[in-house]
Amino acid sequence: MADARPLFEAENRLDHFNQDRGRLLAEVERRVMDRRIAAAKLEAESSLEYVINDVCFAETKRLEKGGDAAHVERWRDLSRRLLAMSEPEKEAELRALVAYYCRDVVGNFNPKVYRFITGLAPSLLGFVFSPIASVRDGMRALAQLEERISVDGELDVVRACARRGTLVVTPTHSSNMDSPVIGFGLLAAGLPTVTYGAGKNLFTNPFISFFMRNLGAYRVDRRLRFELYKDVLKEYSTVLLENGYHSLFFPGGTRCRSNVVDKNLKLGLLGTTVTAYRNNLRRGEHDRIYVVPVTINYRLVLEAETLIEDYLAETGKNRYIITDDEFSRIGRILEFVRKMLVHEGSVMVRFGRPMDPFGNDVTDEGDSVDRAGRVIDPASFLRGADGEITDDDQRDGEYTRALGRRLAAAYPRLTVFHATHLGARVLYDAIAAQNGTRDVYRLMRSPKSRLAVPISAVLEGLGALRARLLGNPGWGSEHPRLSGQEDQAVFEDAFRGLSTYHTRRAVARESEMVHVDDVQLIYYYQNRLAHVPPVSAAEAS
Amino acid sequence: MSRRADTVGVVGAGPFGTALASVVAGAGRRVVLWSRDAQVVEQIRRDRVCPRLPQVKLPAAVEVTTDPKVLAREAHLVVLAVASTDARARARELGAVLDGSHLVVHAVGALARGEGAQADVDATTDERVSEVVAQGVPTLRIGVLAGPALPTEMARGQFSSMVVASAFDDVIRETRRLINAPPVLRVYGSHDLIGVELASAMAGAYTIALGLGDGLGLGPGPRAVLITRAIAEARRLGEAAGGDLKTFSGLAGLGNLLVRGVPPSAPDEDPERVADERRRGQGAEYAIGLALARGTLVEDALTSEGARAALAVERLARRLKVRMPMLDMIAAVLNGRLQPKEAARAAADTVAAEE
Repeated sequence: MADARPLFEAENRLDHFNQDRGRLLAEVERRVMDRRIAAAKLEAESSLEYVINDVCFAETKRLEKGGDAAHVERWRDLSRRLLAMSEPEKEAELRALVAYYCRDVVGNFNPKVYRFITGLAPSLLGFVFSPIASVRDGMRALAQLEERISVDGELDVVRACARRGTLVVTPTHSSNMDSPVIGFGLLAAGLPTVTYGAGKNLFTNPFISFFMRNLGAYRVDRRLRFELYKDVLKEYSTVLLENGYHSLFFPGGTRCRSNVVDKNLKLGLLGTTVTAYRNNLRRGEHDRIYVVPVTINYRLVLEAETLIEDYLAETGKNRYIITDDEFSRIGRILEFVRKMLVHEGSVMVRFGRPMDPFGNDVTDEGDSVDRAGRVIDPASFLRGADGEITDDDQRDGEYTRALGRRLAAAYPRLTVFHATHLGARVLYDAIAAQNGTRDVYRLMRSPKSRLAVPISAVLEGLGALRARLLGNPGWGSEHPRLSGQEDQAVFEDAFRGLSTYHTRRAVARESEMVHVDDVQLIYYYQNRLAHVPPVSAAEAS
Repeated sequence: MSRRADTVGVVGAGPFGTALASVVAGAGRRVVLWSRDAQVVEQIRRDRVCPRLPQVKLPAAVEVTTDPKVLAREAHLVVLAVASTDARARARELGAVLDGSHLVVHAVGALARGEGAQADVDATTDERVSEVVAQGVPTLRIGVLAGPALPTEMARGQFSSMVVASAFDDVIRETRRLINAPPVLRVYGSHDLIGVELASAMAGAYTIALGLGDGLGLGPGPRAVLITRAIAEARRLGEAAGGDLKTFSGLAGLGNLLVRGVPPSAPDEDPERVADERRRGQGAEYAIGLALARGTLVEDALTSEGARAALAVERLARRLKVRMPMLDMIAAVLNGRLQPKEAARAAADTVAAEE
């Protein structure tokens, strides 16, 4: 549970967003254009013709692949006209393209929608979770919701940092429910509203789209992989941070297919934190930027079945954007919510200690400290020999990699294990031992008889696993609700979750045995503990 | 460029630090040399001679101080030229005076000894010096300077080469700009920080094997096999650890092994060189190998840089599942699990795989 701090205490900087939007967009356009024109003068491969042609090629390919013949002609036509264009014409065309993508990306913040939602209940998520119920029912659901979603961690430090500078909230990413859940988490913790980039595919769900469009989310079209679009996106994020808009990135990129705690982080948008900080320093503004690691820990993940199938089918790369998963079906979302509300503490949002853009820890007041605990000036990381702020993209890229490593190292410690994770891990260890392999593909082909585990062995395994977790806080910790519970109770909790929620039953009980009916799902949930070494390896080391 | 941007800070007035300061200052750059030893500082100020490399007359462009604040204030680039056993303590001291803008390059050709006090560090696991430096100083812009550059040869003006490696371009660029002093010292650049540090440390471990081989009376043929197989397996480990294959046959790997694996000079051969070797502890690993072959007890053998590197790299190889028969044999001999002659026989028996 979040502590008893009053909700809405944090300043909502997004209140000013709509007044700011024109200025911000103009700034993004100006910077992208200035950079492109400067680069074009330096080398032939960055000529405006190349840049525009790259856009035409990528857009044509995307539309052809999607069977959208109607819009392909626009890009073919531009590509043809490009050959005869003068430099000023190319510049004008590029400017139009930049403006087009800026408009495509930019978010909106409707204070009325925000007030309506937060006035109705202390949760945007609450409304999302009971959209078709009456207001009274909605309120009841929300009252339950606060019990279901717990928020804890370094909340006081994060609040202090929010007052002193701009936050970049970086949660792990398991589900499309993450955005509303983290929205609730921030609100419940008395932390400010954030703007964030959401996959454009999410905007196809009209219900979710309404809230996303009006509550500060900007659109990220992952199908557009050409440099100009990435440029616009990064610059937009940079400008938002420079202007003090608290932001949220999912550094894992898309939802984690395997449910392993995020470790291969995408650094693209994360890199804008260093750039924004540098730009501010150049202007003489010393507002800090803080990166906040957060884990979102679900007892059950709505899209688990699709995600793990996708992961195992090794089609993850091809199906980068899944549009036909559980999240696309409103009924499944509501079903998820209904089942989530049955279980107390179904989601735990844990905030870690913020870091500066270089991965340095901060004090309770938000001052950066080095690894020896000395207070340091983060601006010095961007200074040259004579104290001047210097531009060096390679250096800043390395800083961002260092930040990514620190984030990836922080996540395991912040991971909260539900009974479903613990139960799945114990079952997986047991069937792995019985079959002599941890390879999931082999286990999926094992006969049913070798996928049954005595309940007594599960209980014993649970006890041992819980003891190991207690002794290794760096691996994460079990949900506070489980502390003090007997292994039997944890087992029952895990069994209930794994056997009743998903369309396929993951486990079944028969007399004194537990049968693993769905190895994939057990694998998925146990993956949350993938960084916890198997007992034999740990003993060996 | 400003005066600070053109100044090199050198930590440690040992033979290498002194030789480097001399060569760099001789090439027209300003050097601030920090030593904790007040007597050494006094002698350099008075006589322009460092007692640890007395054959060198230090140019006036080398300023010497006992105050690390002076070093931090005057130099943007700092070279840590201390023994591996001192690296952690010096990095901590530097941490109090440096900030995030400094560029720090270490010239320690070994691993730093693990420290039990740190919660996340296994007390028996040695670390790469850049990792130790990173724990001590605030800056992230860290690199390594390595290669077969001997202080006496540098002092005599013989040509030598080193490589600077860092993830940061500006560390490589500035180190090369400020340390390059042709024809005496040429500095190459690399992004392979891990590879250069491992190659440099492993050279110490393999030097023990060369001493061992020579002590057992193996001829030039087997010696050549030892060297080439050492490089081959070092490359395998380096790649698995995230390094670049090329690094291990470069200055930090093969270069270091060739210079360290030379038998120490006979006392009447070249007094200056012999004295230098004694001061630098050069030949220590080779001498350990020789002594092991002769069955003599070697005092502190397991705590020498080469032996520690052998044991640490053996553990690393096991973790990364890399086959390293030569290193395993060195570790086994050091641990007393294998007699030197058995090790030589095992080396001869190693299966030759297709490569």
